[in-house]
Amino acid sequence: MIFVIGPMFSGKREYLQKALNLTLEELSAQAAFDVETLAAGEENLEDLAARLSQYDFVIANEVGCGVVPMEAEQRRFRERAGRLSCLLAQRADTVIRVCCGLPQVLKGDWKC
Amino acid sequence: MLTLVIGGAASGKSEFAENLVLTLPGQRVYIATMEPYDGECLTRIEKHRRQRVGKGFLTLERYRDLGGLEVPAGANVLLECMSNLLANELYSHQGGGSAAVLKGVERLYTRCANLTIVTNEVFSGGKDYEGDTLHYLRELGAVNRALAAQADRVVEVVCGCPNVLKGRLP
Repeated sequence: MIFVIGPMFSGKREYLQKALNLTLEELSAQAAFDVETLAAGEENLEDLAARLSQYDFVIANEVGCGVVPMEAEQRRFRERAGRLSCLLAQRADTVIRVCCGLPQVLKGDWKC
Repeated sequence: MLTLVIGGAASGKSEFAENLVLTLPGQRVYIATMEPYDGECLTRIEKHRRQRVGKGFLTLERYRDLGGLEVPAGANVLLECMSNLLANELYSHQGGGSAAVLKGVERLYTRCANLTIVTNEVFSGGKDYEGDTLHYLRELGAVNRALAAQADRVVEVVCGCPNVLKGRLP
């Protein structure tokens, strides 16, 4: 599994499409997007990470770099989202961070 | 050469960008985009002015319509910063949105030898945004990606240290 992480609106999806020469439909068939949104509602993050790892590509937004949110629900969201990303990165063969549409390989072999 | 420098608040991106421009021979021009509408803006502008003292920049203030700005031909231009310029173009009556920003950059770059643009990393602080803020994030993200695609080099600055995402540093 290839895990792609990066800031919101950084062009993660577009990067994968371009690198693999896939349409959005083709990529969508083998990829899970915005997975950080799944983390808060899942009791067991390990199970969720294991299920997501069945996809070829998993894409998540970095959401943990702001000030601690005032609302408990938001704090839980970003805590769970961050933990899920760590678990996905552990399982991934390749981790790519995309910033401004530009890739950086954080783990594994991948020719950008 | 077109260079994009991105970083979070107080990451040292401005100083890094200034020092990068200092390595270039020739005239240096600083385009300041922050409109001084309150005391906090003035304080910030003053801090940046002090930081540039002795670095030999001609400062030009430009809040909108970058394409209409005349700069000395062949100058090394530092544009700071994209996040202010885009907000001015998006939210003022005379503004032309992100299209005006990108067109302005294109025109400016034809006149100068080197253009260095500073922009902000504001996209990793969570997803609890809506309305105007979400729209602004989406637009700035698109502008940053478009600039990064055109740029010869893209550098992310983290606590003053460069993380080169594209191209190479001198």
